[in-house]
Amino acid sequence: MSSCRKRCKRELLKFAQYLFRFITGTLNADSVEDELELSAARHRPEALEQLEAQTRFSRKELQILYRGFKNECPSGVVNEDTFKEIYSQFFPQGDASTYAHFLFDAFDTDHNGSVSFEDFVMGLSILLRGTVQEKLNWAFNLYDINKDGYVTKEEMLDIIKSIYDMMGKCTYPTLKEETPRQHVEIFFQKMDKNRDGVVTIDEFIDCCQNDENIMKSMQLFENVI
Amino acid sequence: MAAGVAAWLPFARAAAIGWMPVASAPMPPPPRDKRRGQDGLIILNVSGTRFQTWLNTLERYPDTLLGSTERDFFFHEETNEYFFDRDPDIFRHILNFYRTGKLHYPRHECISAYDEELAFFGIIPEIIGDCCYEEYKDRRRENAERIQDDEENDNNKDMVLPDMSFRETMWRAFENPHTSTMALVFYYVTGFFIAVSVMANVVETVPCGSGPNRAKEVSCGERYALAFFCLDTACVMIFTVEYLLRLIAAPSRYKFVKSVMSIIDVVAIMPYYIGLVMTDNEDVSGAFVTLRVFRVFRIFKFSRHSAGLRILGYTLKSCASELGFLLFSLTMAIIIFATVMFYAEKGSTATKFTSIPAAFWYTIVTMTTLGYGDMVPKTIIGKVFGSICSLSGVLVIALPVPVIVSNFSRIYHQSQRAEKRRAQKKTRLARIHAAKSGGANAYLQYKRNGMLAEAEEEASKHAGQALVCKSNPTFETQHHHLLHCLEKTTNHEFVDEQTYETSCMEVSLAKPSMSRSSSMSSSPHGLSSCCTRRNKRKSFNVPNSNMVAGRRGSIQELSTIQIRERPMSNSRSSLNAKFEETVPLNSEEQSYITAAVISMPTPPVTTPEGGDSSSSHNFLQSNIVRVSAL
Repeated sequence: MSSCRKRCKRELLKFAQYLFRFITGTLNADSVEDELELSAARHRPEALEQLEAQTRFSRKELQILYRGFKNECPSGVVNEDTFKEIYSQFFPQGDASTYAHFLFDAFDTDHNGSVSFEDFVMGLSILLRGTVQEKLNWAFNLYDINKDGYVTKEEMLDIIKSIYDMMGKCTYPTLKEETPRQHVEIFFQKMDKNRDGVVTIDEFIDCCQNDENIMKSMQLFENVI
Repeated sequence: MAAGVAAWLPFARAAAIGWMPVASAPMPPPPRDKRRGQDGLIILNVSGTRFQTWLNTLERYPDTLLGSTERDFFFHEETNEYFFDRDPDIFRHILNFYRTGKLHYPRHECISAYDEELAFFGIIPEIIGDCCYEEYKDRRRENAERIQDDEENDNNKDMVLPDMSFRETMWRAFENPHTSTMALVFYYVTGFFIAVSVMANVVETVPCGSGPNRAKEVSCGERYALAFFCLDTACVMIFTVEYLLRLIAAPSRYKFVKSVMSIIDVVAIMPYYIGLVMTDNEDVSGAFVTLRVFRVFRIFKFSRHSAGLRILGYTLKSCASELGFLLFSLTMAIIIFATVMFYAEKGSTATKFTSIPAAFWYTIVTMTTLGYGDMVPKTIIGKVFGSICSLSGVLVIALPVPVIVSNFSRIYHQSQRAEKRRAQKKTRLARIHAAKSGGANAYLQYKRNGMLAEAEEEASKHAGQALVCKSNPTFETQHHHLLHCLEKTTNHEFVDEQTYETSCMEVSLAKPSMSRSSSMSSSPHGLSSCCTRRNKRKSFNVPNSNMVAGRRGSIQELSTIQIRERPMSNSRSSLNAKFEETVPLNSEEQSYITAAVISMPTPPVTTPEGGDSSSSHNFLQSNIVRVSAL
């Protein structure tokens, strides 16, 4: 009962206020809230010498990389949205956001939601200057979405679907519903030696090292920088 | 694509390693990287202001002055810098374009000065960023209009085309009276007669004193009936002649007849002729009198002589909906108040409020604050409501006047702005769309060019015209290689929208008469369809096929037949090499397709495109050639 009375009082008060404002002509109460702008996390990378020691890039290469990085991300870190946006610009026909999400997870090694320059450069160092073993390791890490050491068919299906999404709609031949699934089947037939439904890192590395094409394609981007 | 993102291309390419283990086809080889020279600082001295930037920044746009070897012409040996004798303030924006990939237009700069600088440095204005594009276009259009106006004012006076037909001369004389003296004379004569006719209509009705044999006063029209009749006849003669002349001279008679001015002309002269036809017929004399009212429409003929009248008419037309709504709301208020007043005054005796429609008159007079006083409420409650009515009338009438005025100005400006925006919107959207699909189309174009280039190198039988391939900058090549890798990974290809639509239709129409291979292949449908594919050449040598050596300049006009070979792979490899071979037809237009049957022997070993060796496959190839005309 008392809550009813309280509500009535509150309503009455509001009505009285409204009437007052109606008479004096100030109906539009500008509710301007200062939006607290989250100060963008500023991040300064480690010194050039340290990065040089930790990665396999030369000083000049690191300089070039950093300049490009800082141009797009002046705050020093990339968050997932910027990452997706940047990556999508390279694939205008399709939707690269899902694959970019997986890539982001793969680069964000400490899982703090943002990719700093160190993460970026470490990842690139593996991809461009690492041994084949390291590269395969990285690829496996990419496929293993929940990072549990096993790649299941569902994870693989997600990855493959995201790759096909990047192609977009206008492809030849036209993409069918079951194409990604078939692709996953092929992959598992090749990789899953003991037929237990998951691919482990050893099976993966073993199988890839036996496949000439994959080995050759790993060397493809050696001189990208 | 913004040049800033170009810096991330190495990252995107590195990330492509994630596709490699799941790829269904071998990857294409990477493009040969030109060994990049040392990236150094370059000094640009623009009229004393020194700008410095990396050499790479400038090289991003090789078809501009600064990005190409053209800048060597401006190299100043003594100071080891590039000197330009141009405006440094505007140069700042141009250099920013190289840095950020977006060209901005500073609002305080003169548009022609800016355009000159852009032209000097070889930058096309179409790449101005979205943020500044509208402003730029607006200023440019204003400038162009100003120049055009100046030119028109000069030209119009003495533009006499010697071989204009008599009809065209006449039409021009009617439309622009300033062109010749005859036209001017005619213009003033018709104007005079319009005025005379209107004055005669007015004076006709003035009482002119009593006639000799009548008791009451008669109007001048009745007293001097003959004179007025002659005057009227003369005016109508002139108007008729003018109308017929305009009709003859009009370039499009149908359009002329439909136009407003001609309708006014017709309405102005019709009553006279109708009056001639049906004289002294008592039944229709009432209608005849009504018709004379239409003679007053002759005053509208003045709008040919006055531009202001025309503008007023146009704006009233464009304000029509606002006026209509205003009228509607007024009507609502009138009905409400009239009803109230009627029922309020119902009780009083000898009231003038006999019905609600009768009360309408009172309401209108009160609301417009006219207050004639011929109807007044007598009861107290009537007076109360009457006062409320007049107060609200003040409100209701005072509101629309500024609304109409502001509507007028708003509509006028809005229509101007809407025209501008509509004209710009299409181009703006087209630009955005073109930029977006430009990236994709660039890749498709590159594929064609790239493969043609490969074909030129490997199978050097195309002694036709030399390919003029625009040398792509490194970035483009690498980006295309990346997209090519993606195609290989998924074993599907990028195509443009048209081809996609076509193939969609084909798939739905064609019967799947091909036997499907085992589930190993990831592209299940084995239809070969006759798509309007652009000319794609294969890199291997196929005897006995009618390949046309010369390639036409316009690729798009050629339609091709695509022949697909379905390899039945026995090996466990999941890679499915897909070959395409196209044979161009000699057709000039897309609509003209000749069906042809081409027989080909099956080559025992085929090399896949790009030169990757995949000779581990034993193929049992079945050449399925199916040609269907679109």
